Amino acid sequence: MAKSDDLKRRDFLKATTAGGMVGMTALAGCSGGGGQDDETTEDSGGDDTGGDETTEDSGGDDGGSGETLPTYTYVNNAQSYNPPRHDAINIIADQFGDIGLDVEVDVLEWGTLFSRVSEEYDYSFATWHTFFVSEPVTELNNLFNSDNTDPGDGNYSGYENPDVDELMSSYLAEPDEDTRIEQCHEIQQTLMDDVPMMPITHMPQLAIYNNEQVDNWQSDLANGYNSYWTMINLEMQGDEDTLKGYWPETLSTMNVLGHNDESKHVYQFNVMYDKLVQLNNEGEIDHDVSLATDFERVDETTIEYTIRTDHSWHDGEDLTAEDVAFTYNYINDNEVPLYSTQTSYLEGAEVVDEETVRINMSEPLGPFNLAVANLIPIIPQHEWEDVDEPSQANIEEPVGSGPLQFDYWNEGSEFGLTKFEDHFAPVDFEQRFWRIIPEASTVWENLINGDLNYEPFGRVDRSLDENQDEDVITVESNPAATFWKFTPNEREDYLDDAQMRKALVETIPRTPIVDQVLFGFPEVGFNLVSEAFGPLHTEDVTEYEESPEAARSRLEEAGYSWNDDDMLVAPSE
Amino acid sequence: MGKASFVVRRSLQLVVTFWAVGTVLFGLFRLMPGDPTSYIVSSSMTPEARQAIIASYGLNEPMHIQYIKFLQNIVVLDFGQSFHSNAPVSEVIATYLPNTLVLMLTAFVLAYAAGITLGVLSGWYRGSRFERTAVIVALVARSVPTFYVGLLVLWIFGAGFGVIPMSGMTSAGTANLSFFAMITSVDFLQHLAAPALVLAYYFMGYPLLIMRSSMLEVLSEDFIDVCRAKGLKERTIMFKHAARNALLPIVTAAAIALGYAVGGSVLIETVFAWPGIGREMVRAVLRRDFPVAQGTFMVLAATIIILNFIADLAYGYLDPRVTYD
Repeated sequence: MAKSDDLKRRDFLKATTAGGMVGMTALAGCSGGGGQDDETTEDSGGDDTGGDETTEDSGGDDGGSGETLPTYTYVNNAQSYNPPRHDAINIIADQFGDIGLDVEVDVLEWGTLFSRVSEEYDYSFATWHTFFVSEPVTELNNLFNSDNTDPGDGNYSGYENPDVDELMSSYLAEPDEDTRIEQCHEIQQTLMDDVPMMPITHMPQLAIYNNEQVDNWQSDLANGYNSYWTMINLEMQGDEDTLKGYWPETLSTMNVLGHNDESKHVYQFNVMYDKLVQLNNEGEIDHDVSLATDFERVDETTIEYTIRTDHSWHDGEDLTAEDVAFTYNYINDNEVPLYSTQTSYLEGAEVVDEETVRINMSEPLGPFNLAVANLIPIIPQHEWEDVDEPSQANIEEPVGSGPLQFDYWNEGSEFGLTKFEDHFAPVDFEQRFWRIIPEASTVWENLINGDLNYEPFGRVDRSLDENQDEDVITVESNPAATFWKFTPNEREDYLDDAQMRKALVETIPRTPIVDQVLFGFPEVGFNLVSEAFGPLHTEDVTEYEESPEAARSRLEEAGYSWNDDDMLVAPSE
Repeated sequence: MGKASFVVRRSLQLVVTFWAVGTVLFGLFRLMPGDPTSYIVSSSMTPEARQAIIASYGLNEPMHIQYIKFLQNIVVLDFGQSFHSNAPVSEVIATYLPNTLVLMLTAFVLAYAAGITLGVLSGWYRGSRFERTAVIVALVARSVPTFYVGLLVLWIFGAGFGVIPMSGMTSAGTANLSFFAMITSVDFLQHLAAPALVLAYYFMGYPLLIMRSSMLEVLSEDFIDVCRAKGLKERTIMFKHAARNALLPIVTAAAIALGYAVGGSVLIETVFAWPGIGREMVRAVLRRDFPVAQGTFMVLAATIIILNFIADLAYGYLDPRVTYD
């Protein structure tokens, strides 16, 4: 299989040098989610990209049998927003030039880029980072269901396949796990054969920590090394009793129902609030560390949970079955936007007895525990019942029931949690704080000298590459459910042609991007459902070479040709 | 025109200026590319939920309605609620502005004390090695980016010698102090020293160069010769007569610089992880948090406008030759 040989080092250096230099002095705060305003358009289809791999005559010299393909627009984030991804997109666009496509790279700030792609559908190719939470098919259904093709509905690729719709629908209603696994495999096989979207890299979950102060890092599927499971299993070393992390920018809110799902918030609320079920590092429900000690599926739309009766809130009030039922009804009745996907499956909840709560679904949802019960935080009725607009409430001192409780939030400086001694799954440290440090080199100095002892962000960058061999630093890695994806817009001419999409995928230099742009930390992407999903993942999907020659051959077989300028020409009708 | 009518006329101009600034801010933020809701909604939300959020922030209303509401709120100093934290903008400003003021005012006082003194001396000792050195120092101070100097200081004195803290206003784990308790602690002063000195070094060049030029002009005037003829000491002539008369341009420069100081220094705040208004302002712009961005910029603009107004009034006091015609 041709891989990195197809991508000349000169092109790579050209595309990555600026990013590398920026990376050395980059302010981490500028890349954590903020974005920049530099909006420029650069033509990446320069004439220096045609290498020897494009000189073979693959389509005859006639050209002109059909029309020349249009200029495609590849939307790119600003370099300061995410330097490696910016470089990778430029490289891919260059490679597309090698198979005769005219590609214009449009650099946009993040908000504009997101709107252009997901709501206006004004793009040809897009690449960004995404992650699937614990249940992959609910995410795939959002991305590829034929009913979701209106602007803002989720299916921005424009992919439509009734067979996949039916498969996903069956999966979501299927209560039997083994059947769901088979259906999930079939969905993956179909999707990876049609390639409406291609993972370029599977980003790893990384635990980066000072091994003299803390150890035993175990990741879970959705939140990696920042999960509930990770925190309750950490083992502090020596006399250290504080878990010391950082984040490049401040938190926005203490409202567990009013944040925007950014990981910096999710990672805090995960340990401040309990959920009905919690997952272990194998992705299985572990009742020993869950609020519900058992559950029973009464019928396909009803499920009953047995709740701990000896648990309390951080303010000392008893946590009861009423609180659990209140939470589900409150989120449902108030249509809390953050949980709109979950509430679309909810009818309501009721207390059966002091330790049993019954949840009624509005429609059958097989993986209810993974898609709903594992995500909705249980909130105290006595704190929330008088709050009319939960998503817009300004919460100053949150009260939860998780293993860590709110201590202080000095906005812009530091956020502190302390151990909740009465929790059924106690942590091994007395407090945890996150300090706001925007500058990347400062973070690494602090990690090495012990002022910080873990790096929650898990950022893959030059600093990590340069510091990972320090004696006090340990870096652990696990497959994650998160990836960079390539998405062609099937509403654009010829991109609804599966052979064209496959050729594009074959042209993407995934391995060189992993090795040279991302320092070898991620895995090369090949399936939308990563191996992090355990049995739901399958290796048995169509794999694609990384070879512009293979792409040319495929296009030629599909009837495409090249004109005298080596530009791709559509098949004649 | 008397002083009173001058004050009235300038006050009316202030009102018009505030309206213009507010209008420009409102227009600019809405002309910026990017959808503010893309930062406040989750990609996993249903379209209906996204629309509900957009409506709840009034972003679905016609632009002129949003503009009128904005102006009405400005009049009563209500900048609205942050799209992100849902906290009132006044609270956001009250959280970050004091941190910036402590840093910037410390740097400002140090810079102007040192800059004015060195400016006086370099003007007085014109042509000397001292003057040449002072001018070079001033030019370097103004030319080298502050973030670069900041990183160098952190690298040498923080990571290298370990004599200054690497980040923040206080040591880790002590950030839950009250503001007063914090700024009066030794720990805080240790954290303040490096960013304040780096900023002071940068600020210092401006008053130094202005004061030097102004001194050269004053020293050529006849009254200096008169002072000498009266047998006054050189030191007295330099500071009491020459320097005081050379101070006037510094007043305007200081007023404007002080106004900008309220806006913080986003680069220094970023490098030293100082939780100031500058970083928050940039963050608000990048995330299209219109209420916070508008509020912080209005405060910055108001400070500059009002300080300029005060500087105008101070001119008449400092130099009786200035009239209000």
